[in-house]
Amino acid sequence: MELSRRNFIKFVAGGAAGTALSPLPWKLTDDIAIWTQNWPWVPDPSTGEFTNVNSVCNLCPGGCGISVRKVDTRAVKIDGRTDYPVNPGGICPLGMGGLQLLYNKTIRYPGPMRRIGPKGKGEFVMITWDEALDILAKRISNLRKKGMPEAVAAVDGNQRMSTMSVMVERLLTSVGSPNYVTTPSIDDTYLISNLLLQGTDGPMSYDLENADYVLSFGCGLLEGWGAPGRVMNAWGLWHDSAGKTRAKIVQVESRASNTASKADRWVASRPGTDAALALGLAHVIIKNGLYNSRFINNFSFGFENWTSADGKDHVGFKSMVLDKYSPDQVAKITGLNPEDIVSLAKDFARAKAPIAIYGKGKDDLDGGVYECMAVHILNALVGNINKPGGVLINDPLPLSRLPEIKQDAIFKQGLGKPRIDQAGSLQYPFAGSLINNLTNKIIKSPKSPVDTILIFSANPVYTLPDGGAFKEALEKIPFVISFSPFRDETSYMADLVLPDHTYLEKMVDVVWPTGLQYPFYGLSKPVVEPLYNTRNSGDVIIELSKRIDSTVQSAFPWENFEGVLKARAKGLFKAGGLVTYDNMNPAWERKKYGNGSKHNYTSFEEMWTKIKAGGLWYQPVHGFDGWEGLFKTPDRKFEFFSKRVQLAVDEYAGKTTYKTALKNMGITVTGDQVCMPHYEAVSSDVNMSAYPLRMMPYEMINLASGWIPSPPFLYKTIFDNQLKGDLSFAAVNPKTATEYGLKQGDRVIIKSPAGEVEAGLSLSDGAMPGIVYLPLGFGHTAYDEFLRGKGVNPNEIIDAEKDPLSGHSVWWNTHVNLVRI
Amino acid sequence: MKKGHDQGKHKYGMVIDLDKCTGCGTCMVACAAENNVSVRPDESDKQRSIAWMLLYKIDNGKEFPDTETSYFPRPCMHCDDNPPCVSVCPATATKIDYNTGIVSQIYTRCIGCRYCIAACPYHARTFNWWDGYFPKGKGLDRYLSPEVSPRMRGVVEKCSFCHHRLMRAKDQAYAEGRKELKEGEYITACAEACPAQAISFGDLNNPGHKVSRLSKSPFAFRILEKLGTNPKVYYLSTKDWVRKMADNYLPGEFKPVSKASASADKKTTLQGG
Repeated sequence: MELSRRNFIKFVAGGAAGTALSPLPWKLTDDIAIWTQNWPWVPDPSTGEFTNVNSVCNLCPGGCGISVRKVDTRAVKIDGRTDYPVNPGGICPLGMGGLQLLYNKTIRYPGPMRRIGPKGKGEFVMITWDEALDILAKRISNLRKKGMPEAVAAVDGNQRMSTMSVMVERLLTSVGSPNYVTTPSIDDTYLISNLLLQGTDGPMSYDLENADYVLSFGCGLLEGWGAPGRVMNAWGLWHDSAGKTRAKIVQVESRASNTASKADRWVASRPGTDAALALGLAHVIIKNGLYNSRFINNFSFGFENWTSADGKDHVGFKSMVLDKYSPDQVAKITGLNPEDIVSLAKDFARAKAPIAIYGKGKDDLDGGVYECMAVHILNALVGNINKPGGVLINDPLPLSRLPEIKQDAIFKQGLGKPRIDQAGSLQYPFAGSLINNLTNKIIKSPKSPVDTILIFSANPVYTLPDGGAFKEALEKIPFVISFSPFRDETSYMADLVLPDHTYLEKMVDVVWPTGLQYPFYGLSKPVVEPLYNTRNSGDVIIELSKRIDSTVQSAFPWENFEGVLKARAKGLFKAGGLVTYDNMNPAWERKKYGNGSKHNYTSFEEMWTKIKAGGLWYQPVHGFDGWEGLFKTPDRKFEFFSKRVQLAVDEYAGKTTYKTALKNMGITVTGDQVCMPHYEAVSSDVNMSAYPLRMMPYEMINLASGWIPSPPFLYKTIFDNQLKGDLSFAAVNPKTATEYGLKQGDRVIIKSPAGEVEAGLSLSDGAMPGIVYLPLGFGHTAYDEFLRGKGVNPNEIIDAEKDPLSGHSVWWNTHVNLVRI
Repeated sequence: MKKGHDQGKHKYGMVIDLDKCTGCGTCMVACAAENNVSVRPDESDKQRSIAWMLLYKIDNGKEFPDTETSYFPRPCMHCDDNPPCVSVCPATATKIDYNTGIVSQIYTRCIGCRYCIAACPYHARTFNWWDGYFPKGKGLDRYLSPEVSPRMRGVVEKCSFCHHRLMRAKDQAYAEGRKELKEGEYITACAEACPAQAISFGDLNNPGHKVSRLSKSPFAFRILEKLGTNPKVYYLSTKDWVRKMADNYLPGEFKPVSKASASADKKTTLQGG
């Protein structure tokens, strides 16, 4: 056939139509898709038997119940447990991403390491556990032989009262060193405040679920305060219009955080003025007679003016507050409107079950003691202490005490020496430990008073708000040992790393999550076999004690860490509690006759087996609502005027002068006010014209800022006006930016007396004018490509002041300047 | 061709209570962990970052201290009426199943033309510009679930309403000799993980299910309802300014919900600064 133009077109058109009608093109697109996707490097997850292992999340002290889905030996997903009292079903984003911490080989230590490169570089060589333990034991026993056991120090980041933290303290004590310090936690502030006002030593117990008016002074309820699984569940309950627990939430905070934004009312007062606002509210409550006179008259001390035994007249809380904290006076300090202070006070006092709670973002930094006391006073005024929806008074968890430690001469000599951080001294009578003081002492001394420092579950180089001082201190300490499972900033400074298991590979306890209102003990268990040559630090301490000497060894008579957990848990058996949880019967619901509190075990061993299986022990919230015999202060009353503070100040004044004593304790008022909660303006000698703005770090629930690194998953949830590439952003009010001639997206240097960092500028109407808000959790210099070098760490420029009375660091008042690049 | 919408036995859907939503992002992480979503060293490039469930932050546009923010978690809407992505797909890689209402995505069929991404009014679809980031020696592939196949570069992915969880629940029911699923047996990973219980999931066709009750609330709404795609993801908010953001309204067109319960939620903010 002749190939004419017509035929050619016919052929092409016919061919095209024919091909289109045949299945060929569809088959081809499908096949091309399949062929181009079968590459060997696309992971093909192996399959196998599916199981679920119940455990407890230990990434923060919240202690949420988790259920880990496994395929054969691999853990593939973490879910919340619905049969767990703390978090009925949900967990937080950090807990959800936990498997990326377990399985990310490049952020973990494969075994014990000895440093070979310069400090901070992270160059190590792997050694055996035998070698590692011998090096450390020899070092400690040599110090003991030299009669200077106090040169051993420990930094402990484990939760207060947890068995690991008891073990670390015990190791130090048995060695003969008083220098056991902890990383900061709001729990320290709570403990001091409870002791001074109530004389009680139990944890702060906020009955949030039963409250109908929550007045939160800075608690990051939605940023990770307390047990996030519990608090966010309560948030759901409060906003469930069908439920009967509907409550009104008021947030006092300078920035529109998630909590402030989602609250029913946002009270934007200046940072650091919480005490003034609380006392202003007290003023209105007292002036309008809205306080609970039965509580005030019968169970409190120091409300009215009083006369002491020596015939001296004293000013009562009422007179002080009426005199110094009128709405107008408080408005000047806080920047609020006087009418709003009045209405807030009235709303609070008139609610059925109002609760005033105190915090500073997440709970992993300290707060102010006078502030915390001033806030708690509000609960006393309305009599909402030990009542449903109020602040409950609980004893500490009934764990057994470990046996006394045998004392030898070295022990007595070492423990007789004063603590390097001066905690518990005349100047800081109420502090348990002051890590900033330890740091400063080391930096300022020509030779570090600490020779060997052990660091457990902590990354203080990164997390301490000290302008990088701790890192400087570590450079001076001759021998640094980290027990971190992760390649973090602190372990990079270590001479020896003895890596712990991660939380999914070990058994460890959670003792009373922050703020929970009922006694609770959680126990995690190994979900997977340890992936690397790591060891539970509890077991390592026992093994180490054997190698130091027989005296130290005698303090640790247990075979392994589980033995210690069991020894302490004996007390739980005596107290009796539930070891299984039925979610139809919430732990926070009050039952008149102890419904459901019958336990289902007869022996300690049986209870322990059940705790191991279920991961929990708890007692439902107690129904006690009387005030008789509740307070353990010198007067057996709730003290508006703290006699303990009076004693402490008098004792110190006796050794020096009254004026010096107050000055050293950081107190600027005099007279009776010293012993009552009052507002202390943070003093600062910073040149305000050089540093006219203030910088506050802010925390997020979806970014880890403690010693646990963020799983990379979390970076999906970070907005690009918080982190873009390697640049993190400071949130600044548009008005402030205009004043400085800055605009959205500008790069700036944020300069404080402690240093400077570079950040982008993100304009936000949620930021208070005059304040620069930097996100906390970026700026890692260790770990891997997911975290390293992304953004800046505000801790590096924090110029901390000292909190009056406690000596803890005031990290929310750094003066800064902005310079455009 | 109006096929099967109402005849379909089940119509799985979601109701997200924005008053309860705390913006924590657990839903996003739970989703990514459940569905083997790739995580790259730089997740701050939001044009390239992959998220089936994405959290949007919105604000009322007012100045300090009257500014107010809220969050919108956005999964795939699983449009019930002619999903725009389905009608444009040249490779039949995405389909709607009228027995469940789930809009599927079959990665091995996807040819990466991204027509569906352009068509989707909700930005619910993302494209794999790279292979999943699982470098050798890092060990991160050890947490991958065998229930969802990992994707490679050149394909589009999106929320599947955790379809494999439906399969799992059906298997379980079959093993127990049942044909029907009970409420709560099949829920998505995001709904299960939400610590504030803001996300409910269930069968919109079943009047006994919580979602079907909640979806009829006066405060319920959907995003871009005017497009007529009939999404199966509902939102609840008592705040007018939040509801107003869900669509493009002409001046005066938006009708606030006038209910007594709405006034209880009126938010006040104190002056400060």
